[in-house]
Parts: sequence; C-alpha cells; structure tokens
Amino acid sequence: MDNFSEVLNLFLSIDNFIAIAAGVLVGVIVGAIPGLTATMAVALALPFTFSLEPVTAILLLVGIYKGGMYGGSITAILIRTPGSPAAACTLLDGYPLAQQGNAKKALKTALYSSCVADLISNIALIFFAGYLAKIALNFGPPEYFWLICFSLTIIVSVSGDSVIKGLIAASLGIIVSTIGLDAVYGSQRLTFDSYDLMDRVSFIPLLIGLFAIPEVFEFYTSKIVPHVRSAVSGASLSFSEFKRCLKSIIRGSLIGVVIGAIPGTGATAAAFISYSEAKRNSPRKDKFGKGEVEGVAASEAGNNGVAGATLIPLLSLGIPGDVITAIILGAFMIHGLTPGPVLFQENLTMVYALFCGILVSSAVLVVVGNTAIRYFSLIAEIPKSILLPIVLMFCVYGAYAVNNSTFDIGLMLLFGLLGFIFNRAGIASAPFLIGFILGPMFEDNLRRTFLISKGDPSIFFRGPITWLFVSLTIASLAFAIYRYWQSRRATYPSLKKTRCIISISFYRSSPYAPCVQGEGGSHSLLNLNFKGPKHEKRFHL
Amino acid sequence: MKKLIKNFASAAALSAVALCTTISAVHAADWPNDNIRLVVPYSAGGTTDLISRKVADLMQNELGNIVVENRPGAGSTVATGQLARGGRGADHTILMASPGHAIGPAIYPGLRFNPVEDFKFVKKVITIPNVMVVPANSPYNSLEEFVEAAKNKEVTFSSPGTGSSVHMSGELFKNATTTQMVHVPFRGSGEALPALLAGDVDVSFDNMPTVLPHIQSGKLKALAVTTPKRSPFLPDVPTVSEAGEQYGLKGFNTSAWFGIVAHKSLPDEATTKLIDALSNVMEGKDFNEFLPRFGAVAGTESGDEFRTFISSEVGKWAEVAKKANIKR
Repeated sequence: MDNFSEVLNLFLSIDNFIAIAAGVLVGVIVGAIPGLTATMAVALALPFTFSLEPVTAILLLVGIYKGGMYGGSITAILIRTPGSPAAACTLLDGYPLAQQGNAKKALKTALYSSCVADLISNIALIFFAGYLAKIALNFGPPEYFWLICFSLTIIVSVSGDSVIKGLIAASLGIIVSTIGLDAVYGSQRLTFDSYDLMDRVSFIPLLIGLFAIPEVFEFYTSKIVPHVRSAVSGASLSFSEFKRCLKSIIRGSLIGVVIGAIPGTGATAAAFISYSEAKRNSPRKDKFGKGEVEGVAASEAGNNGVAGATLIPLLSLGIPGDVITAIILGAFMIHGLTPGPVLFQENLTMVYALFCGILVSSAVLVVVGNTAIRYFSLIAEIPKSILLPIVLMFCVYGAYAVNNSTFDIGLMLLFGLLGFIFNRAGIASAPFLIGFILGPMFEDNLRRTFLISKGDPSIFFRGPITWLFVSLTIASLAFAIYRYWQSRRATYPSLKKTRCIISISFYRSSPYAPCVQGEGGSHSLLNLNFKGPKHEKRFHL
Repeated sequence: MKKLIKNFASAAALSAVALCTTISAVHAADWPNDNIRLVVPYSAGGTTDLISRKVADLMQNELGNIVVENRPGAGSTVATGQLARGGRGADHTILMASPGHAIGPAIYPGLRFNPVEDFKFVKKVITIPNVMVVPANSPYNSLEEFVEAAKNKEVTFSSPGTGSSVHMSGELFKNATTTQMVHVPFRGSGEALPALLAGDVDVSFDNMPTVLPHIQSGKLKALAVTTPKRSPFLPDVPTVSEAGEQYGLKGFNTSAWFGIVAHKSLPDEATTKLIDALSNVMEGKDFNEFLPRFGAVAGTESGDEFRTFISSEVGKWAEVAKKANIKR
C-alpha cells in the first residue's frame, strides 16, 4: 500500500501531465510534417529534459514517440505523404479513401486503431514484459533470418494488380539497399567513391521521394487535374465499420507487440505484416488497396502496437530496440538511471509511475488526435495548386534535415522520378520500400548466421522459433501461389483442369550455399509444376 | 614600369599579410566574438551527441553561446573533412572528435584531409573503457582460458559495426594473440547485445556503459578492461595488459574517447582559452557527477599531448586495418 501511494505521489504531478500532453501534441504535429520524424523530435527534445525530473523527462519523450507514430498517418491519408516511415503502409488505403471523399473516415479509423493498439501494447509492456523479453533474447540471427523471410512474403499482398511488377519493384528496392559499405568486410558497393552513399541511401529522402514527389510531378504533368475534395465533412467512421475492423486491429496490435519486443525489426515491417495478414483474412480482400477501412486500421494497429512494446527490451534488458528507444536510453543515463533488471530492483516506484504515465498517454492520444484531425484536415480543403508547392518545400526541408545534406535533396528528387515512373507503369511503390527495408536485414542475418555457426546450415532449424517462421513462410507462399492460381483460372478458363504441384527439397551443395534440388537435378528453392490436359509448365524459383 | 608594378605587388601582398595578421591578432584577443559552433559528427541522440550537448551546456558559462550542430555521415569523416577544409566560420567551429577520427583514415580510402596535420588539438574530455565480456554460461572465466581456447578453435566476437572502436579492439586483440577470432558485425549495440547475452557469439569488447548493467546483474562475465589502468567501476577486473602479458598484450590500450579539436588556423590564444574553459568545466561538480553515468573517466591530454595521442592512434589503427584487410 505504501508502494502504491509512493507511485501515485511520484506520478500525480502536474508536470507529468503537461509533459505527456505536450509530448503527444508535438509528436502528432512533427509526425504529420513530411520529413520530420518522431526520431528527430525525440532527439531534439532530449536536451530539454536534462533539467526535468526523470519520470517527467521520460514521459515527455515517450509522448512524442507515441504522438509521432500516429501523426505520420495524417499526411499519408490526406496528401499521400507519409509523415513517418511506419505510415507508408497506411497510405495504401488511406489515400484512396481520402480521394473518394472519405478523409474523415480514414483519419478516424487511423486514430482509433492507433489508440487501441497503443493500449494493447502498453498492457503487454506492463504485464508481460518479462515473458516477451525472454522471447526477444531467443531471437538470434537464424530466427531473425526466418522472420525476415516471412516478412518478405508480404510483397505479394502489397503488389497491387500485378505480382510480377511487385517483384520487380521489390528487387529494385533490394538492389538500392545494397548501396553502401559491406557489413562484414567494409568494402564499397555501388558507392562510386561518394561519401554520401557510404552510409547507405538515406531512408527519409527515399520515402518522401517515392511517395510524395510523384504527386507533385503528376499534378504538373497532367493536363487535366480532376478537382478532388478530400471532404473532411464526409462520413465519419461508423460503429459497425469499427466493429468490422476490430479483429484486424487486435491481430495487428499483437503483431506489433511481438515485432516491437524484438530489437531491430521496426514499426514499418510490423505495419506491412499486419496489413498483409488483414488482407489475407478479410472477406473484402479484393477491396484492399482501393480504399478499404480495414486496411488503414490494420496498418495503424501494426505500427502503433510497436510503440509500447519497444520499451520492453529497453526497460527489462536495457537493450534499445530502435533509434528512438536508444535516445530514451540516453535520457535514462543522463538522469543516472540504468534500464534493465537493476531498474526494477532499485527504482520500482519510478517504473510503475512511468507505466501510469504511459497508460495515460493512450487516452491523451485520443483527445489530441481528434483535435489534430479537426485542424489538419483543413489541408484537404486547400487547392492543390497552393498545397503542392508547400508540400514540396517541406519535402525538401525534410530530406535536408536528416543529415544536413544537400545530396539527400538530390536523392529525394531521384526517387521522386522513380516513383513517378512506377505510377505511370502501374508498378506499386510499397514493394520497393519493403525490399529496401528488409533486403539488408535478410543479407545481414544470413551472413551472421553462417559466421556464428562456422558454416553449418543446420543452425537454420535450431529451435521452435525457427520452425515456426519456416512454417509461416511456406504457408504464406503457398497461399499466395494458390490465390495467384485461382485468379489465373478465373481469367483463363482453359486452365481449369490444370493442377499445380509445388515441391520443395533441401540440398546442401557447400557449407555456405544452401541450395535446393528440384527434378532433373536443377538447383532451386521452389519448384512449381503446372500440369494441364494439353500443356505442362515448370518454374524453378 | 615592370619594376614599379613588381614592387607595388610585393608591397600589397605584404600589407595584406600584415593586415590579416593584425585581424587575426585582434580576433585572438577578443575570441570568441561570435557564437561558437560545436559540430557533432554523429546523429542527434547518440552517446557522442549526449556528451557534446552536456559539455557545450557547461562551457557556455565560460565562453558564451555554443550552438551544437549534428553532421553525421561516413563514420564521422564527413564532418571532420568539412572542418579540415576550413572556410568561413572555421575560427569559431570546434568538433567533438571520437575514435572515428583516428580509425576513419585507416578504413576510408582517399580522405581529403590529414587527421593530425589539419587540426588543432584542444583537449580530450572523456575516456570510456571497453570491457572484454563473455556470456554468463561461457566456459571461459579468465582472459588466459579464452586465449588458450581461441588458439585451438575458431571463436566469434561481435561488434556494433565494422570499423567501430569495439570491432577494432577485437581485431587488435586477435592480431596480438594470433588467435582464430571471427568478427560478427551487427548494426548497433541494440542488435549486438542480445546475441552476446544469448551466447550466439563468444566474446565482445564493448563499451563500459553498454555492458556494465549486465555484468552487475550476472548475465555477462567481465574478463578484462582494455585501458592501461583498471576501471573504478570494475576494480576487481584486470586490464588486458596485465592479464595477457604472456600473450603479447602488454600495453594494450583501446577505449572510446571524446575530445575537442578545431581547424588548424585557430589562433593559439583561442586554443588556450578553450583549454582553460574545458579544464574549469572538467573540475566542476556537474561534470564529475555526469561522468559515472557513462562509466567514464575524465580525459587528461590537452594540446600537444592530445596531438601525440591522436597521432599514435592513427598509426595503430592503420596497421590493424591493414592486417584485418579492412579497406573501403
């Protein structure tokens, strides 16, 4: 009881409430501005926390983090410009909804699914931190490798009308992700001796370029621009629609919690996995990508589910899961506190006061989010001829601000051109982004796995977690192929009697090159054998 | 006529030099007569940024307004190169140098600056030791046991990235002991630490603040510290130099350090002012309360001593990078 009153004494201070409210508000605003990310805002706010009480300081930073995570969705929905990387998935359905005059519905869906996911994530942090931290520690390079393999299968879900075009975009994304220094040997790859490219292609300029700039190009190159009002006054989210999305929101939140608890994977991957799973399980899967409320809900639940959960490895193990939690770790250290088991032993009261604040932040997000929708949605009323130059200005500033580098502005324009070409060629940009994010993770973990096992591939199947993700990867691929096959059969009735035989076999040709042997001695990972009454076609992937 | 022009040109040149010298002298006496810019060669929010902002905050009482500016890129060499080029404002710009200042030239090809000749060295501010740590369930309980085992079989060591001080410490150790150590790079401590805690890698030479809580909670075993003196935070843990003397490790010294450097054109009086200001800050209560939070000790070298330290670091890492075949 004494402890409880101590916690309340520590938490119930006006400073803490102001810090949470200010943090969430700043986070939402910064998150909504293209190029200004929550990471940047947390880093810039850090020096201001030096003189604050530890609980107040951490709550201010956590508030910015959570606000920023939601804020990114606002401009993604309204102007197809994700304010933060994690919101890139939200625009897949959010922007079409806005164009159909349902901006308010999309914004409300994003807000409420964010809040629910945030709450679930906070509850997981408070009650299951210990268990989830143990799982996180069981994630070594082989487990990460399979998790990334599974995540790569979502490319199929976000490829739009053509899976082949999606795969092309993803491959290009992977190629661009290899630019920089080799992680193991440090040798240069596609850098052309440019120091600006040695730290890899900067993520924010790529993101802005890929999604926001094509809109600007499109506006100035189209002869006739339809005047689309994003109509904030349009219909809001009805309870029945929210209820329909609830399953996807809860599933997405749980995906976010698991991904967040594992250091190094990130909210963007969680959003895309959640979106992909929602699409796979939804009876309205055909409407995804064309303005489906459930798509917005799933992606926002995925990325906000990560917010509380990333604090799990930080608080329980002292391990920062992403850049923002690394900065929060710095804030702990500045105040003479050391996250990890010792924190729970020596500063339990403070930890519980923090938990109280984190729970309150979910409620504050509802209030601040609703207010933000009211004002930000005025953006939708601004004519594009005025709005787009302003967006372009923010984009240029955002791209420059990441590294204070003019080179990044050039990169942004280059990826803008690529995004524009993608749009004209009917290629979805999302697979490019996924390839860019997951490509290096795939390569790094593959190489690390071989390094720690000294070349023994059996490590890839060393425990239940690896088997779980192997199964999920195969199931996800099989489902994607089945869906593809079904759509082909619907398009070409002559294929109706054709059977698809999928065979997978593993064969080790050298310690460093796990290969698969198919029929006829071919070396491939996956063999597809289509047998029809008059034809037979084999594919080796 | 030609002679007249020649004489006039010589006079003009001499006057210009004299004028510049006078201006420089006036500047030196009044220095700083503008805001000082402290450039952090890494992103905001990291350890270098935190230390820089704290030091800038404390130095403001001595030197007036100090603006902290982050200029990350290519392992700190982008910001360092910019300072080396000088130009407008260089006389009021200082940089928080770190091990990357000495390691960068060893691993980045064609840098257009000399890490020693192009700078004026003010003062080393902080030294953070690295600690040789193994997982709690590791069979090795001492540096000797580890080296003996690693001579006969392949072992792995992790780092938060190729070219980091943690990585280079491991390579230096490997070279000196001629052991079979394989480097496993991660992207940041957040990814590297779980692999070490779970026992996926055998050893790491990580920074003190990263591993200290895990040593205290019993999840990691500290075999040695990499500085010449034992750390006050781990007084019972030997140094690599004392525990590994028989393996050629005598004099082993690696650490994460942070120090202020400026452009070579900074007048001596200004350098002295900076050294004095930093010395006052480092004697203060605020700074000394701040140090333990990073498992750090105050730096001692300033001026020429600091230059000698950097010079020896540059030579050391060039040799290690060459042997480890790290050349970008």
